[in-house]
Amino acid sequence: MMLSFFVDLFQQEFMLRALIAGLLLGVLAPLMGSIVVIRRLSFIADTLGHFSLVGVSVSLFLASVGFSAFFERPLYLGIIFSIVGGLLIELFRRYYKNYKEISMPIVMSLGAAVSAIFFSLSKRTGSLYTYIFGSILTINNYYVILIAITLLVVTLFFVLFGKQIVSVSFDESSAKFQGINLGLFQIVFIITLSVAVSVLLEAAGVLLVSSMMIIPVAAAMKVGWSYKSTQVIGILFSELSVILGLWGAYSLRIPSGATIVSVNIIILVVVALIRRMTLRRRVKVDPKITESDLEVLEEEKSA
Amino acid sequence: MRIDLVNLSFAYGHRIVIKNMSFSLGHGDFLVIQGKNGTGKSTLIKCLLGINPVKSGMIFYDHEDIVSFRKWPEIGYVPQRFEDFNYEFPITVNEILSVSQLKKNPPAERLELLDKMGILSLLNENINNLSGGQLQRVFVARAMLNHPKLLFLDEPTASVDQANVAYFYKTVNELRESGVNIILISHDDVVETLDFTHVLSIDNDLSYRFYTKEQCGKERGGKAV
Repeated sequence: MMLSFFVDLFQQEFMLRALIAGLLLGVLAPLMGSIVVIRRLSFIADTLGHFSLVGVSVSLFLASVGFSAFFERPLYLGIIFSIVGGLLIELFRRYYKNYKEISMPIVMSLGAAVSAIFFSLSKRTGSLYTYIFGSILTINNYYVILIAITLLVVTLFFVLFGKQIVSVSFDESSAKFQGINLGLFQIVFIITLSVAVSVLLEAAGVLLVSSMMIIPVAAAMKVGWSYKSTQVIGILFSELSVILGLWGAYSLRIPSGATIVSVNIIILVVVALIRRMTLRRRVKVDPKITESDLEVLEEEKSA
Repeated sequence: MRIDLVNLSFAYGHRIVIKNMSFSLGHGDFLVIQGKNGTGKSTLIKCLLGINPVKSGMIFYDHEDIVSFRKWPEIGYVPQRFEDFNYEFPITVNEILSVSQLKKNPPAERLELLDKMGILSLLNENINNLSGGQLQRVFVARAMLNHPKLLFLDEPTASVDQANVAYFYKTVNELRESGVNIILISHDDVVETLDFTHVLSIDNDLSYRFYTKEQCGKERGGKAV
């Protein structure tokens, strides 16, 4: 079964395209995801996805009433609305200083409501399924190039401003003393994230976008020993889930996005189980186990 | 760095926390701020760090008004608790020190400082595995590596175990000797082993006393506003 998958991979253009797109997203998602996780904004990708959907639905609606070709590619307006959503989140975060997470459900429900209205008006509710669950197997070359460009820009950001990004993400209060403009950082971060989420949308869908960003990072956090190692392990887990997910989706004829995310979850569970087993063994073998290890063990038990 | 505080007042809504406070510190001075909980020590620090916007009174750094002051990277700040720090995601001591370093220090100088702070052996350790005292030293080192002209230490020994307090104070004294201005908040009485030059003692009734080390003995017990 695996062999026929690889044969098809190189014979069927759409399979190869899906794999390339998947592998690129497999780097992009955890790269952005790690910063999202560190900054405790795990719900932000979901929220931006919902708001991006407004752009997509408005696009479909305008195209349905005969507007220009621009709206034939819903992704453009999707990106614009995702950025608007991101800026709205930032606005609400500043408004509710002590309850910053309130911003997410407000923007998310607004996005869901408005997009539902426009999907209905455009009479294209059928395409809703694609945007909710994603469909990496039906994407075109143009989309693959778009992912590659986004990944390139994000990587460039990390190369040029990696130090500042990591420093501010771990400790916002230190930004000022390092000469970093926190306000500007937030805006650039939210715009970059908004673009990344919109780009992920077509392949992973609104519901699965945040899973691709968060779950590989969540698993890597349990085995990484440094920031860099966690980042690399997260990307490896993510790539593994893309390859196995595509294979699973192909073999079992099930939706690709959902399969990739399911593999991600399986990796997370396996990592948690292995960690738990090795920790137990260490307790038996080494009586000088540290307090923090025992705390972790207890936490895992209670979970 | 010269610091001038002129008639500073600060209130949270209608609750006045600081009233008409004035004092000046010269280059290389070492101020210990002491007072019980709720006397406004941390509020004062937040004013000095530009976190609390000053509405009444003025603060000057090297004769420049805090409103237009932009040289924040010349100031180091080690908070009392690191609650703003996002823990649990793995990051090593070395990584956190590297990303927050503004300029590259000569390797020998860097190693010497880390050795002096007692964290050289912890460089490859995940910071989530460190004790409170070790973490505190890492954050002091983080501030020190940027060679601040002024260093704020908010209750720096709060999570340092007793055995290491003396050692920590020795390091602070050495910093002062190297010409760094230090403002240290202390919950306890003035610590004799610290090489401070001034004391700001704040009371619950908004009154305060600002005096030099020489006046320390005389002022203690008395109350001068």
